[in-house]
Amino acid sequence: MVENIVIGIGLTAFAGALASVAGAAEDVESDIGSQGDPNSQVQLAPQMGYIHRIFNKAVSGEPPAYGLWVALGAGLAAAFLQVNINPILALALGCAIATLVQGIYATTAYLGRIASLAKFGQPVYIDILKSMTTVTMAHAFIAIFTAVTMCYLMNAALGHPFPLALLGLVWGIALGAAGSATGNPFYGKERQYQNQKFGAGVPVAASGNIVRYAEAGERNSLDNGWFTAKLGGPASGVCFGLIVFLELWRTVLFESFWAGWGAIFVGLILILIFTFIDRYAEVWARETFGPYAKPEGAAK
Amino acid sequence: MTVKIEVKEGGTPHNTIMWAGLLASLVCLYLGAGLNLAFNAYTFSFFGGLAAVCAIVWGSNTIKTLCSYGIGTGVPSTGYTSFGAGVIAMLLASRVSWYLAPIVLVIVAAIIGLILGYLANNVIMMKIPVLIKSTVELVMVGALVLMGLALMTTSSYSLLSMVSTQTSLLGLPVAGHAGSFIGIAIIAVAFILGMIAVQHPFNATLGPSWQQDRMLMLAAEVGFLTMIPVAFMSIAYLSPLAVIVSIVVSVGGWFYTYNQFLCLSKRDAAAWLDAKPIREPEGH
Repeated sequence: MVENIVIGIGLTAFAGALASVAGAAEDVESDIGSQGDPNSQVQLAPQMGYIHRIFNKAVSGEPPAYGLWVALGAGLAAAFLQVNINPILALALGCAIATLVQGIYATTAYLGRIASLAKFGQPVYIDILKSMTTVTMAHAFIAIFTAVTMCYLMNAALGHPFPLALLGLVWGIALGAAGSATGNPFYGKERQYQNQKFGAGVPVAASGNIVRYAEAGERNSLDNGWFTAKLGGPASGVCFGLIVFLELWRTVLFESFWAGWGAIFVGLILILIFTFIDRYAEVWARETFGPYAKPEGAAK
Repeated sequence: MTVKIEVKEGGTPHNTIMWAGLLASLVCLYLGAGLNLAFNAYTFSFFGGLAAVCAIVWGSNTIKTLCSYGIGTGVPSTGYTSFGAGVIAMLLASRVSWYLAPIVLVIVAAIIGLILGYLANNVIMMKIPVLIKSTVELVMVGALVLMGLALMTTSSYSLLSMVSTQTSLLGLPVAGHAGSFIGIAIIAVAFILGMIAVQHPFNATLGPSWQQDRMLMLAAEVGFLTMIPVAFMSIAYLSPLAVIVSIVVSVGGWFYTYNQFLCLSKRDAAAWLDAKPIREPEGH
């Protein structure tokens, strides 16, 4: 019994570590591709006269897109496992095919979106496709492979009742949501809109006025990946790693209490604790850094 | 801030695409299931993927029609709606015999779409003129894509083949449901694959210089791209020959349509530059 719990906790920690890597890679991938909500400004920029060299590959929101990539990797791995291919090989092969699909989607999204902006004179920079698609694919492979491996651990070692592909869909959507919620402020606010004041939002006059020139030369999406790899990626990794770790931790430790309700009760307590932490951090950050100390309307 | 989408006139009328997509999809489903039964083979399962391609082309144009009414960021959610409802219709229709299933599928999907569209338009008060018709179409598309992918993976769209594996071990037929299309949740992969594929063509080509032929070519491209991983997943259910035929058809179709899409993008782009600096427009 104790050994089971010790193994369970070890697997939980391992899954959490895998999830941290997945979250970090996911965020850097989506920022290089300018996916997620800051992309609306990248999409808008040429219409406001700001021609840019950003890789605009919006396949859809990050959660559905990552739901697809991870579910695809997991589903292919599950199918390969059915024909008795070695699990490690099956996982790697499935994730490789899923990554190829991701890369092809990325190129068509960039070409389609940019070609539809022809009216505003935004050219297709074909070198962006050549140099950045492979970089997003590399990050995507890391994110997909770690996420699928994590799902495989849950399914095979922790005995999760869901099949591998369904776990991939659920955790892929969670991965995309974590990266989107945590990493996008770094990419959108601190990078594309670093010329605006902290906490100022995007006023109408600044719509589409993204940062297009770098310290030397013109900024492209690899610079954005380099920037978000420093803070945004690790923050997303910590976010998704904590989600996975705490989720498995409460299940492994407290599922035996009250016929499973113990885990649900601990989950509710965790949600409450994080609500208080979030509120405290937000208020503290606004009071310490923001120009808007007073509520709106009383400003100025 | 959402992107303003202009309603484009001209191009192929939507009703033409709708009827063509529906009929072609049904014909492909019947061909795949019928030929597989007639020859007692798995080789014709790729027709299921072709049915999905036809339905995706039709669905992308439906999404374009619906999203002309200013649903900028809501494009992917239309895909979710269509497939969430479509899976119900698909599972219901899979209970009847093979020659009735596609017809039952279309009728059940239409009824579900009608209810959903009525709820969205008249109860939630979205008040979009084409919402009910579009929802009906999208649920049909979702159901057809799912049925096509089920056919491509398991060689048939009957419930029996979806919940049990038909492989034989040492010459003896082994029945089990643990590794089946629904048992290992390949259906979840088909769901999300089709859903992204239906919303992607319009989502990726929206903008002021949108062109219908470019979007439809992209729809065919993502359709064939969807077939490729499905062909790989069918390795668990079909004979090696059938898997190879599926892979050859899907990769060939994908290669052709991707190439065509590149040409059309080149045609429509403002300029096609390689490693050139930003061209600032006049007045900036």
